[in-house]
This record gives sequence, structure tokens and C-alpha cells, in this order.
Amino acid sequence: MDPKGLAYLGAGIGAGLAIIGGGAGIGRLAASALEGIARQPNAVADIRGAMIVAAGLIEGVTFFALIVTILLAIK
Amino acid sequence: MSALLLALFLQAAPAPATTPEPAPAQPAAEAASPAPQAETPAAQAHAPAAEAGAAAGVHAPEAAAHAGEAEAAEGPAEIIFHHVMDQPFMGFSSKHLVFLVLVAVLVIALSQIAVRSYRGGNVPHGLGAAVESLVLFIRDEVAEPNIGHDDGRKFTPLLCSFFSFILLAALLGLIPGSATSTGNIAVTLGLATVSFIAQQYAGISKYGVAGHLHNLVPPGMPVLLLPIMIVVEVLGVFTKPFALTVRLFANMLAGHMVITTLLLLIPLLGNLHWLAGVAVTPISLVLSVFIMLLELLVAFIQAYIFTLLTAIFIGMYAHPAH
Repeated sequence: MDPKGLAYLGAGIGAGLAIIGGGAGIGRLAASALEGIARQPNAVADIRGAMIVAAGLIEGVTFFALIVTILLAIK
Repeated sequence: MSALLLALFLQAAPAPATTPEPAPAQPAAEAASPAPQAETPAAQAHAPAAEAGAAAGVHAPEAAAHAGEAEAAEGPAEIIFHHVMDQPFMGFSSKHLVFLVLVAVLVIALSQIAVRSYRGGNVPHGLGAAVESLVLFIRDEVAEPNIGHDDGRKFTPLLCSFFSFILLAALLGLIPGSATSTGNIAVTLGLATVSFIAQQYAGISKYGVAGHLHNLVPPGMPVLLLPIMIVVEVLGVFTKPFALTVRLFANMLAGHMVITTLLLLIPLLGNLHWLAGVAVTPISLVLSVFIMLLELLVAFIQAYIFTLLTAIFIGMYAHPAH
């Protein structure tokens, strides 16, 4: 097992796993936000702001994992 | 000063000139007579840039030699990496450094132009009105809810500087042939360092060093938990700016890598067969334009998140046990 091949495999699997976590998290966030908007349409602006901030934070964590996979693939 | 600190930290990447951004870039609503102040901050901005450029010039040839011998053939990964990582540019040793200074000068220049419409007690119009709405947004939505009334106003110039710098750096990076300076981890580390200094300043100036450290731990806690909480809180002081760094860097980097990958499909498929290259060109271009629009949105969001998190952290240290 060539270590370089293992590193590429690890990078690929890692990127997939990272995006599963990020996608699931942001999907749940979007679902709750939409439900909140449906219940109280006059709170759209507040909900939208909170949703974008939370999505940015969750994506930040996903990107930490992405950096690790990129390092694996490059080095 | 912070440029020298960063030159010590970062051996691999060229150390950018993280000038004292809050002082020069005074927003339109706050500054009445910024014209004489414009000259000295611009001079300050160029002096550390020259020192950092000299330090970077030493590191860049070593990095280039290392990259040249690392991979035998220029594969797709190397081409992508070559495009998003730092490169020498027009005689300067670092493209990201050039664009860092360019964006800083642009932020200062645009603020000065915006303030001009306030002369003579006029109601601002044009760029002045746009900048005023931005500053009011940051003061009323970001600074004051998180930091409090008086402290919020004190920190609004810093938050406006962060927001406009990050936004302008990202927008400038969308132009083909330029580079996003925040796509360099050294630059985002510099921004996070300034944010870290502001957070500690907020706490220490109000409560002193001992009081600030005392405020780190939440009040009313059982004594048994104290050792763990101290470690956690002290680590938290450092992980928060680190998270800011990596978040901004990764967002900017990922956007550019996707664009470069899509555009790279054209010559890659063109090598197989010229017809494949021609066929994939419209698809690649359309997808690249779409990703660029997405990157535009991401630029706004990331600038806002960086500013908002800095405001929240400053508020946590200025008004603890909230």
C-alpha cells in the first residue's frame, strides 16, 4: 500500500465525510428556519439574519476538515 | 509592529503588512476632518509593507525552488495549487502582499472620498450616503447590541475597517488575473491577531489584567470545576481568533480553487481531443460565472460573520457575565 495512494484515498473519503456533516447540519438549519418563517411571516428578517450567521459558522467548521483533506492531497 | 510579530510567526508564507487598520480607516460618520490624517497612515502602510516585502523576498525564492523540484510533471493539482497560492507578481515577491496593500489603500481612499460629501454640513450624497448606511448598519446592528452603548461606539471604527477590508479584498479577487489577499492564511492570521488584540484590550482596559483573567471564568461555579474551566477558557481565548483565521481563509480559498478547477477542465479535456476542449468551454464558463456569483455572496457573508464574531467576542470581554 503506497502511502501516497493511502493519503489520496484518505483525502477523498475525508472530504465526503466532511460534506455529509456540513450538509446535514445546514439542511436541518434551513428546515427550522423555513418552519419558523412559515409560523411567523413577519419575523422573516430576523430569522434570515440568524440563519445566515449560523450557516456561516457551520460552514467554517466544515472548512476546517476541508483544509485537512487538502493538506493530505497536496502533501 | 504587528507585521514584525507576524514575520516571526510565519516562516513559510510571506508576512503581510497588517498595518494598524483601525486608526487610519475612520468611517464617514465618525470622522470630521480626516484629510490631514490620511497622509501619515498611508506612510505607515507603506513602511511596514517595504520591510515585510524584504523579508518575503528571502522566503519566496526558497519556496519557488522547493515547489519546482517537488513534483516531476505539472499535474492538475499543481496547477490549481499554483494559481491559488502566493506567487511573485510584477517585480514584487508576493502577489497577495501587493493586493493586501492595494485593498488597504483603496479602503482608506474610498473612506476619504465618502467623507468629502459631508463638507460644509451638507447632507451626504453618492458614495458618502452608501458608506454612511454601512457604518450605521455596523454600529446599530453589530456593535451596539453586542458590545453595549458607549463601548459599541468606541469599537465601531475597528469593526467597519474589518468589514470593508474583507469585503473589498474578496471583491477585488474576483477580477480575473488578480488575487484575493485574504486567501492567504498569513493575511487572515494578521486580521485575527488584530481582532485578538482588540478583544484583550477591551477586557484589560476595563478591568486590568487580573480582573480580565478573573472575568474569563463564568461566575457562580462549583470550585471543583475550576481547574478544568480555567484551562478551557484560556484555550478559548486563543481558539476563537484561530477559528476566525481558518474560516475566512478556507472560504476564500475554496471559492478560488473551484473556479480554477472548472476553468482547468478546458485545457485538460483539450489535451485529450481538441473537440472535447471546445465542447466543455461553454459549460465551464457558465459554471465559473455561477461560482463567481456564489463567491460574491460568500464574500459578503464572511465579512459580516468576521465582524459579528469580533463584536461578540469584544462584548464578552468588555461586559462579562452577561
